[in-house]
Order: sequence, then C-alpha cells, then structure tokens
Amino acid sequence: MKGIRGIAILLCSMLFNGLIHAQSAVVLYNERAVAIEQTLPDATELWVKPQDLTRINDFVLKPEGACLAELCIPVLQDRDSDMYVTRQNQGWFNVTGLADKLQQAHMADYQDGVWSFGVMPLERQAFFGSGEAPDFTLPDRDGNLVRLSDFRGKKVLLLTWASW
Amino acid sequence: MPVWQSIYEELNDDSFEIISVAQDSGGEEAAGSIFDDAEVTYTSIIDVNHHISALYNLLNVPSGVWIDEKGQIARINEGTYATTHYDGAFGNDDYVPIVRDWVAKGADSAYVWDRDKVKESIFLRSDEAKLAAPAFRLGSYYFNQDNDVKAEKYWTIAQELDPNSWNYLRQDLQYEEGGSAGPEWRERRDRVEGAGGSYYAPLEIEDGAAD
Repeated sequence: MKGIRGIAILLCSMLFNGLIHAQSAVVLYNERAVAIEQTLPDATELWVKPQDLTRINDFVLKPEGACLAELCIPVLQDRDSDMYVTRQNQGWFNVTGLADKLQQAHMADYQDGVWSFGVMPLERQAFFGSGEAPDFTLPDRDGNLVRLSDFRGKKVLLLTWASW
Repeated sequence: MPVWQSIYEELNDDSFEIISVAQDSGGEEAAGSIFDDAEVTYTSIIDVNHHISALYNLLNVPSGVWIDEKGQIARINEGTYATTHYDGAFGNDDYVPIVRDWVAKGADSAYVWDRDKVKESIFLRSDEAKLAAPAFRLGSYYFNQDNDVKAEKYWTIAQELDPNSWNYLRQDLQYEEGGSAGPEWRERRDRVEGAGGSYYAPLEIEDGAAD
C-alpha cells in the first residue's frame, strides 16, 4: 500500500510541478532536523523559500548569491535558473543544487519528504589539507552544546565507543 | 569506560579534556547507563547520528583522536582501548602510557605525529562511501521515529555504500536477531582478517621512552 501511495504522491507532484501548493519537508543536516512548511514540489530537487535555506544550513541568500561567512556562490535572481526560480512572486532556492555545487552528499526519502545532507566538504578542507580537527557542535547528555573549538588551549582526547 | 575515568582523575589536569562520544542511535536508552555506571566526569556525548565517525572518517569503535591546544590533530584513527578485556581477548595496555606522556609533555611528546603522518593516517572514503553518511542519518531519523522498516532500509543502504564501516554494520545488527557480535559480524570479521585486513584501526606505538 505504501508503495502505491508513494507513486500517487509522485504523480501528483509531477502534475502540479510549478504550481504552489503545500508540500512539507524535513531536512536533516548535522544535528538539525528542520521542519519546512512549504516546498516547491519537485520529484528530485529540494526547493525552499530563502529564509528556510538559512534555517537548514546557515547560508543566506544575498544579491551576490548564497553566502556563508566569506564564501558566496553566485545565484541569478532576476530570472529563473537551476538554482533559483520565482513563482507567483515567491522566490524558491534549490538546496540540493547548492549541495551539488559544494559537492555535499545528500539522499532523500521522496515519499516522506525527508532530505538528508552529509558534511560539507568546505568544513573539512583544512582537515584533509593540514590535519586540522574539524569542528563540531553536539549536545552533551545534559543538553548543553559542546563545541570542539571552545576547547582551544587544551589538549583533547576525542574517543568514540558504542554500547553495541 | 571506568578505566578512562580513573585515568582522567589521575591526570587531573586543567589543560586536558576527554570528550567521549557514544556512536549509538538508540540514544540514552542504549548508552546512558554505561556512562552513569562509570560515574563519568569528563565530557560525555551520545551521538545518535554517528556524526563524529562521519566527520573524522572513523570506521569502528573504539577510536581515538588527539587534538592539541591549537586544534591540530596529533594522532588519529587508532583502535584505542584503555586496557585489555576478557583476559586479553581484545584491547591492550599500550595506549594509556602514551596519553600520559602527551598530557605531560605536549608537543614535545615523542608520540605526537607530524602533519604528514597525520594526513596520511586519515582514512579516505570513496565517492560512493561519502553517500553513506546521509543514508545512515536517514536511517537513524526513522529509527527514532519508530519506523523500523525505513530505518532498516536506509541503514542497509549505508552499509552497501560504505562496506568498510563496522559502525554502520554493527549499529544495525544490534537490533537484529544474532546481535552486534553474532554470526553475521563474525563472518565479516573473519573474511576481512583472512584477507589480511584489520578489524580495529591499527594501533602502532612508536619506539620511544614513555616514562
């Protein structure tokens, strides 16, 4: 039954492609699970409103492009492109298109609208290039956020283990 | 775990921290009591998405990484038990002395690697294996939504994309008949070791005087 429903949803989204109607999504990136109320229906790409882009991965859409700190990926916004389209005065940004440009791995469960993104390679350039420890922010068992870079000035022994 | 706690207390050094990260999609329920029983006072994290293994390209547990005061890696990708277990069936006593040496001497420790050694010790994933992390993340999401069918689906995809990862295999097997150290795991381990591979990341301690 689930398979049939999946095909039905896919067909609907293909039929309505280009029209705006509510299609929610959940986006997984690092520790985030971001609920997106509305996406632009598309069978294989994730299009979100610009403000949702920032909730997903901190990129901000500016006139010069999609920017994170010093980095800006140019994005045309005065006409439709593979990165950005306008439908009924609402702009939509292609998150999977950005990931592809950044060579960031991603996978989705299209049936449920759950999109999962891997580590951005730009986060690990100095790791592979010069052995710098990639930074991370994870909650400890009390829910306090632990950020590796807050331990600068100390030696850190990072240990992984598991119950299994 | 209790051993690391005793070493942490013994070293009792403000310039040294242990960050211990459980690679457990089952969260507190799976790993919490182990931290509790050891009465751990160092930084304790339960990493349901195995983010740290994905970020540092680690394939198995336990694994250890040394990070110096400037955020530079000084050792990485080593199978690092604090002691031997089950009469020497696994683990060893070789790692803790070099940790002590490093905490005492810092960059002057003979066990600190240079940048080239660090770089060549980082495991490199294939392009296909890079897709495994988002697949595994999907599986863990569904696991914690109690959707076992989709959890199994995406955890299986992750294993197929990254067959080098013992973490992805054993996390999944934990919730299957036979368990994480059952026949399927033994068969895979025998096969890898029979082909000259190693199960744990290697731990090669340099000759040098750890006093």
